[in-house]
Amino acid sequence: MTRLQAVRSVLDTLTDELLIVTTGFLSRDVFHLRDRKENFYMCGSMGNAYPIGMGIALGSPERTITVLSGDGAALMSLGSLVLGNSLKLPNLWHIIIDNKKYASTGGQPTCSDGIDFTQFHNTRVIHVDHDEPASPRITLDPVEIARRFRFCIR
Amino acid sequence: MTYAECKSQGFDFIVGVPCSSLKQFIEDLQRDEPGRYIPVQREDTAVALAVGAFFAGKKPLVFLQNSGLGHIVNIVSSLLIPYEIPIHFLVTMREMPFEHTHMYKITKPLLSLLGIESRTFLFDASSHV
Repeated sequence: MTRLQAVRSVLDTLTDELLIVTTGFLSRDVFHLRDRKENFYMCGSMGNAYPIGMGIALGSPERTITVLSGDGAALMSLGSLVLGNSLKLPNLWHIIIDNKKYASTGGQPTCSDGIDFTQFHNTRVIHVDHDEPASPRITLDPVEIARRFRFCIR
Repeated sequence: MTYAECKSQGFDFIVGVPCSSLKQFIEDLQRDEPGRYIPVQREDTAVALAVGAFFAGKKPLVFLQNSGLGHIVNIVSSLLIPYEIPIHFLVTMREMPFEHTHMYKITKPLLSLLGIESRTFLFDASSHV
């Protein structure tokens, strides 16, 4: 499966759930394949998409939240996945697209072969063996991304 | 600054990484919300949790020791500031023993460089371990 096929397969399952997308190519892919106000594009602060999802899941237990990460981002804040295993929030899901590399910085290898991400709470892993070129950059203002996302939760 | 004083400011999602200076504060937090204390493993994770809570309509407060400031530089710079997400911090000012001394000296300038306005509060010394 390719990276864009993997992202499309995730987006095809979404209805009104909130989606937090990690930094790098994945945010850009989601923005160009299916922008929606329920998407939060976390450009920067790599590794923190999953704990942002945990914070929403704790504050809004009636909402369903999906976090889309890459293997590099998930590894960067592996401790937050352990916290997720401790909290076991029923309304939070984590999908990790694992291409075994930092695609956004030139395809350098990660150490994702050293871990089984499916041991973490509500986590699904999609293995990817081919990366398309980058989608164009996100053109929305970050303040607007945060404003419309917050508005649709309340 | 006590837990009760923080609550009276309207903070309704209090999360962070422990400091011995905050022992009483955290005990009060655990007593106030039994079973809801979040055992966070790193300071930037606490900030991210607070961001999520802010999106969910909460008024979050993140507590941390000044030695943990280095862990929040990226999330403050690349998330809180460009997305204009308002988060309050309670940062303890450890000065001793020696491993804290340099960070103590640079804590306020570092907060200022990060674009975080700060005020200094006196702590009840009896809660310090």
